[in-house]
Amino acid sequence: MQIMNYTISPEFTPLIDAVEAHLIGKRETIALSLATFFAGGHLLLEDIPGVGKTTLAKHLCSVLGLEFGRIQFTSDMLPSDILGINYYNQKEGDFVFKKGPIFTSFLLADEINRSMPKTQSALLQAMEEGTVTIDTTHYPLPQPFFVIGTQNPHEEVGTFELPSSQLDRFMCSLSIGYPDNAAEREILKGKTAHSLSHSSVVLTPSQLQVYLTQASSVTLSDALLDFLQDIITFTRNSGMFEYGLSTRGALALTAMIKSWAMLQGRSYATADDAQMVTAAVCAHRLRFKEGATNAARIHHEIFTHIHSDT
Amino acid sequence: MRFLSTLQTLKPSTLGLLDMAYVVVLLPLLLMLKVPMLLFVFLVLLLLIFKKEPAKPLHLIFVFFFGILAIYLSLYGAFSFRGLSRLKLFIELLVYVLLVVVSLQRLTQKVNFYLLLSPFLLLALSLFFYHGMVMLIYVIVEIFILLWLILAHRMEGNLVESFRSGMVMFMYSLPWVVVLFIFFPRISFEHATYGFKGEMEKRMGHDGVMYLDGNAQLVPSDRIVMEVGFDTKIPPSYALYFRGSILYIDKKDHWEPLPEFIQRKNARPDTTQDTALRYKVTLYPTQKRWLYMLDMPAEPIKNATLDSDLISTVKKEIKEPLHYAARSHIRSTYTEELDEPTLEASTLFQKDQNPKSYLVAQDIKQNVAKPDKRVSAILRLFKDQKLTYTLKPDTLDTNHSTDSFLFDKKRGYCVHFASSFVTMARMAGIPARVVTGYKADLSNSLNLYLSVKERDAHAWAEVYLNEHWERVETTSTATGMDAQTQTALATQNKNDFLDTLNLYLLYAKYQVETWILNYSNLRQLQLLDYAKSNPKFIFVFLASLMALIVLTFMIILYFRSPLYRSQHLAALQPLIKLLQNKGYLRKSKETLHQYFLRYSEEYPHLHQHIALLKQIDALYEQMTYADQNHASDLKKLKNLVRTFTKVKND
Repeated sequence: MQIMNYTISPEFTPLIDAVEAHLIGKRETIALSLATFFAGGHLLLEDIPGVGKTTLAKHLCSVLGLEFGRIQFTSDMLPSDILGINYYNQKEGDFVFKKGPIFTSFLLADEINRSMPKTQSALLQAMEEGTVTIDTTHYPLPQPFFVIGTQNPHEEVGTFELPSSQLDRFMCSLSIGYPDNAAEREILKGKTAHSLSHSSVVLTPSQLQVYLTQASSVTLSDALLDFLQDIITFTRNSGMFEYGLSTRGALALTAMIKSWAMLQGRSYATADDAQMVTAAVCAHRLRFKEGATNAARIHHEIFTHIHSDT
Repeated sequence: MRFLSTLQTLKPSTLGLLDMAYVVVLLPLLLMLKVPMLLFVFLVLLLLIFKKEPAKPLHLIFVFFFGILAIYLSLYGAFSFRGLSRLKLFIELLVYVLLVVVSLQRLTQKVNFYLLLSPFLLLALSLFFYHGMVMLIYVIVEIFILLWLILAHRMEGNLVESFRSGMVMFMYSLPWVVVLFIFFPRISFEHATYGFKGEMEKRMGHDGVMYLDGNAQLVPSDRIVMEVGFDTKIPPSYALYFRGSILYIDKKDHWEPLPEFIQRKNARPDTTQDTALRYKVTLYPTQKRWLYMLDMPAEPIKNATLDSDLISTVKKEIKEPLHYAARSHIRSTYTEELDEPTLEASTLFQKDQNPKSYLVAQDIKQNVAKPDKRVSAILRLFKDQKLTYTLKPDTLDTNHSTDSFLFDKKRGYCVHFASSFVTMARMAGIPARVVTGYKADLSNSLNLYLSVKERDAHAWAEVYLNEHWERVETTSTATGMDAQTQTALATQNKNDFLDTLNLYLLYAKYQVETWILNYSNLRQLQLLDYAKSNPKFIFVFLASLMALIVLTFMIILYFRSPLYRSQHLAALQPLIKLLQNKGYLRKSKETLHQYFLRYSEEYPHLHQHIALLKQIDALYEQMTYADQNHASDLKKLKNLVRTFTKVKND
């Protein structure tokens, strides 16, 4: 994969630094996760256990200053375990709604593919609509609402693979991967801030709101839209993939490009931004007809064929 | 530019491209189609416009029968299997059949090989019907458009890109076309009859025989017979008589020259009189053997004979444009003694053929002694008869043509005047003969250039007086012209400005026709001769060829230069070219930003360059992506790029 050129704006470097203190050498992943949040989407982390999925989620949550919720998915989990239940309160003589763990602004849905499809879909519906419906009553989820789902791609026993229609609801999918040698050495030396103490850098809710609006108002020029449409058309017409990028996928791509441009401190997006985020947006949405599918290969195939002339 | 972007979005299908090709190639052919065939084409067009789905077999059968009917009606009367040996009729039938077949195939909306091939066939066939300058230009355009459409077909309907490629290919061929054209002259069209009978049997303005009957109706045609370039000056209007044939024998409905078996002495023109006028003639194919010369020829033309009647002929029929230089004495007559056969032929008449005229002529002969007075008397008689000049005379009684013309119908044109005058003169005892040829009109001249058209065909008389032949302009005895003839001739002198314009166009056409359309091995030899005598010409020729090559390559470069998305991207090109020349290539995946960044990282010591590059990068990025395009930004960008290319650092 080619070396990416990007410069995070000074506004956001402290946030990334703070997370990196716990996840050494993974600045790019952290930055992309942050971008996913500001783009208003949800994140899917696909990786083997023990590379820092949970760490990333926890510390991201803490710098964003959000309320952290976590659900460990298991095969015997029911939708009510996530959404909450109506129970009969004898004191009041009435049914009372007990909120499930989903009622939080930052949710880590760990090992999402271990639960039954019924439970998965309950979560994914909430992700899409931002509300929970129980017994015809709608309960709005807090805003912002950000889900990080994790799954272990290599484990097959006792897992229920997420159908592509469900995967489409995650804006991005990232994998963390092993740290490089230098970073690993630092970790082994025990120099990381392993304590789970909260970061000193925290965004205020008003700041969050400003960034969320800012990310959606980034300019997309005609030149970039042409490039973007070339990419989208390629995924659909090249014959390389089983199916192309959906319109929701295309929208996700646009939102990510804008958000990434904002992280660079720009009010306009460039072709570099598009190159940066495309693999993350497409990795769980596209599948090669032949051979393995991974982010690096997707990036390679798309950008060997689609060039930006600008 | 708006047009360009519309073209860009237009992605015609194969059928759409084919339709465009057919419109282009059928346009000239439509002028030649007969009404039934035009109706058929119109019907097919209507069907194509209003019925979008492929035609059903029933429709096709209907169209097929309609097509056969249209062919039958178009060729009705003209068609016979013997007629097919005539090239044009054969080609016409071919065009009709092709049209029907192509229409049927087009209606099924399926593309097959002959639908793809037919535009080229039709283009080739249309060349059989038209070969003028307009067609030359149109054919060039047609070929280019067909090339463009083929490329567009290969490029999946991308009209803009295929236009550019087509232009490049077209331009590449241009210098070659010129060189091949000059060094390998084509065969002239008259040779290319491919075993068919010639089409040139149509009567010319002057064809060596003079008819008096209804067949002789004249249509003022603007076809050019010859073009004359005078060396010093154009002679006055009264001297512009080009001799064609001398006719001696009255055959009632026509006049004929003396048969060839009558031996007469050859003319020996006397050159001691006034200085001869020099001129050069381009004679277009006449299929005849005459070379036209001004009255009176001074000497024989090279490779031609000049007979005792001062008529110049060549051995073979003229089938391609002929160029000759000639000399004539325009103010002198030529003294000669009449030999026996000539005298006999020029005094012969049948007195019972035109009894009325005979009586009048005898009257003149007895009352007037001097021959020249007799001529004046006859001319006076003509005037008194109040003869009307008309291009469409009533049919004469050809058994008594002179009587019929002078005393009965009194309407005719030069032929009738000349014929009647010669008859009368002979009856009055004066040797006389008819001369046919061309009387040029000065309104068709420009500088030293004069064109002679079919409409200038003329007949006049010559009488033998005082031991020489003298010209008598018999038509000037007409007292008036009928309205129809006036309108037919009026086009010549209606508007001075238009006339002049037309003449200039004619002049240009003359140049194009002599040097391009009718360029042949003769012209090539002429060119070679000229080059031999003027070494400077070779230099000029080579220089202009080089100029043409340079010009075409400039046009090619213009069309080959890539189209940039925006002006600012185009402004960056010198910079990118510079980096590439330094061996620093942009990877296909890289955006410009990444490319510049990589450069800065690889050459950190080029501080000045890097600083400039950063500015350029930032400015360019903003212009491209932030949708802020100011003219000042573009200027600034160009300046930065210029500074960058000029910075010397190593």
